[in-house]
Amino acid sequence: MRKISLLFLLIPLLVTGCTSPGGVVAEDLWVKSSEMSMQGGMTAVYGTLTNNTQQDVVLVGGDTEIAGVVEVHEMTMIGGEMKMQEIDGGLTIPAGMSIVLEPGGNHLMLMMLTDDLEAGEEISVTFDFDGAEDITVDGIVAKPAEGGDEDYHSGEMEMDN
Amino acid sequence: MVSRRGFLAGGAAAAASGAVGIAAGAAGASLAAEADLETFAASRQAEFYGPHQSGIELDIQAVTNMVAFDIKESVTKADMLRWMRLLTDDIARLTAGEPVLADPAPELAIGAARFTAYVGFGPSLFSKLGLESQMPEGFAELPAFGVDQLQERYSGGDVLIHIAADDPVVLAHGTRGLVRDSMPFASVRWVQPGFAHSPGMIPAGLTHRNLMGQVDGTANPELGSSDFDSVVWINDGPQWIKGGTLLVFRRIAMQLDTWDQLGIPSKEEVIGRKLSNGAPLTGEQETDVPDLGARHPNGLLVIPEFAHIRRAAPQESGERIFRRPFSYDNGMNERGSMDVGLLWTAYQRDISKQYLPIQRRLEQLDLLNQWTVPIGSAVFAVPGGVQGSELLAEALFS
Ligand code: HEM
Ligand SMILES: [Cu+2]
Repeated sequence: MRKISLLFLLIPLLVTGCTSPGGVVAEDLWVKSSEMSMQGGMTAVYGTLTNNTQQDVVLVGGDTEIAGVVEVHEMTMIGGEMKMQEIDGGLTIPAGMSIVLEPGGNHLMLMMLTDDLEAGEEISVTFDFDGAEDITVDGIVAKPAEGGDEDYHSGEMEMDN
Repeated sequence: MVSRRGFLAGGAAAAASGAVGIAAGAAGASLAAEADLETFAASRQAEFYGPHQSGIELDIQAVTNMVAFDIKESVTKADMLRWMRLLTDDIARLTAGEPVLADPAPELAIGAARFTAYVGFGPSLFSKLGLESQMPEGFAELPAFGVDQLQERYSGGDVLIHIAADDPVVLAHGTRGLVRDSMPFASVRWVQPGFAHSPGMIPAGLTHRNLMGQVDGTANPELGSSDFDSVVWINDGPQWIKGGTLLVFRRIAMQLDTWDQLGIPSKEEVIGRKLSNGAPLTGEQETDVPDLGARHPNGLLVIPEFAHIRRAAPQESGERIFRRPFSYDNGMNERGSMDVGLLWTAYQRDISKQYLPIQRRLEQLDLLNQWTVPIGSAVFAVPGGVQGSELLAEALFS
């Protein structure tokens, strides 16, 4: 009985390639492939992050071979328009809770891409946390996706995605 | 299949608790049973992982979309593999009743509803990618037949995704996900929607009816049998096709206006089987073996010379196919003539040895040809299934 329930707990971890059961667990991660995700361009990583620790954890940034700059972004209303901007101090995941990174919402922004990111490619991303160990997830697949009202103004930090 | 049994067991449990006579319990159980009954189709789930792709060796679902693609000019083997990576994950999730990754409408994943999708490749794909050496045995474009009136818009294609489910909304949502992930690699050549009976209309194992009214599928190899394996599933040749099969797709229009002018006995002679239950004209039940030698007292053959099942029956032992035809209904003209027919599919190990000799005989003589016209045609090689982290057709494109 006990063995069985342990097995069930392990399956999601194996599937997402994340091996930090006491820390933050990432699920259903994907990265957007669009006409913007070309060398020098930008894209974002989405999915679910679950904080399995007893205290709040903050997503402060990340690291991946394919991007020169990685930032934690939010979407906010600025002058009547949805714009995205870096979240000051990072994104808090309360103890025992999950957050969803999704188009039109919070996301891990990848900028200054070092190569074209094409549909069906896989990348590896490290998520940096304050309050928990960083996690590295391999095999994050690039999905063709067009965000809603995309409005990129490179360099001005008004890039929707 | 498992869920159908589960549903029956649930009904039995409700009946049993009713028999015990605990009024409240019985009422609760029958309410639950009723709720189960109302949504039984949502929870039924096909198997994605296994030696074969899903949606072939399976009781036919209610609705289907066959979507054929032509690859973009620059597409390489490596691009094909990336496409297959997306499709493999998408189909696994949709089969489980879950939204695909990056689904813009995840709220539409309301139940598995026996969603299935399998992928196949046309001969044109092999030549475009220089993969001719990987073509399975007995796989080539079909020759032209005398009965053909083929239209480009229903024919050919580099890649096929054949999607099916027991619910039209589940089908539309799944189709949208798979097509979205295909657009970086290919354009849509044609899409052909079709249908069979809704779940709950006929018991498992009973053969479906086509729009001519006939019980269609009787002589098929039985699902799950070793006979099915030997007719359909390929076990040698290039690695990627092992556990796969070869598909002949024909869009066949039915001329119902003239068909409906026939009386029942004439309609039955055209096929050689009864309309009421699909029994051969020489028997009483659908499962009775047709007696092709039987004659009326006046000397005429009971199953006539021109009857479809006489002409289609194997002359050599290997000449058999598995047919899984969906109907189509494409509206009607101003005179009320319906544009209907079959998305006729035949699965086999070797098209040249199985489908072709049958079609050649039917081309020469088959009275059914007077009311049926092939207007679309395509062949696809369907790779084997996947296990664990394998990708569909990985061995072909690696
Ligand atoms: C609209 C077109 C067609 C209709 C309505 C139709 C209908 C039927 C029906 C009612 C039966 C008898 C029940 C059964 O065994 O399923 C049958 C049998 C069969 N049909 Fe067709 N059919 C069509 C086209 C074709 C084509 C194009 C082929 C192959 C080239 C074909 C091959 C067969 C075979 C092999 C059998 C079983 C014969 C046997 O008893 O051994 N059919 N078909
Ligand atoms: Cu951003």
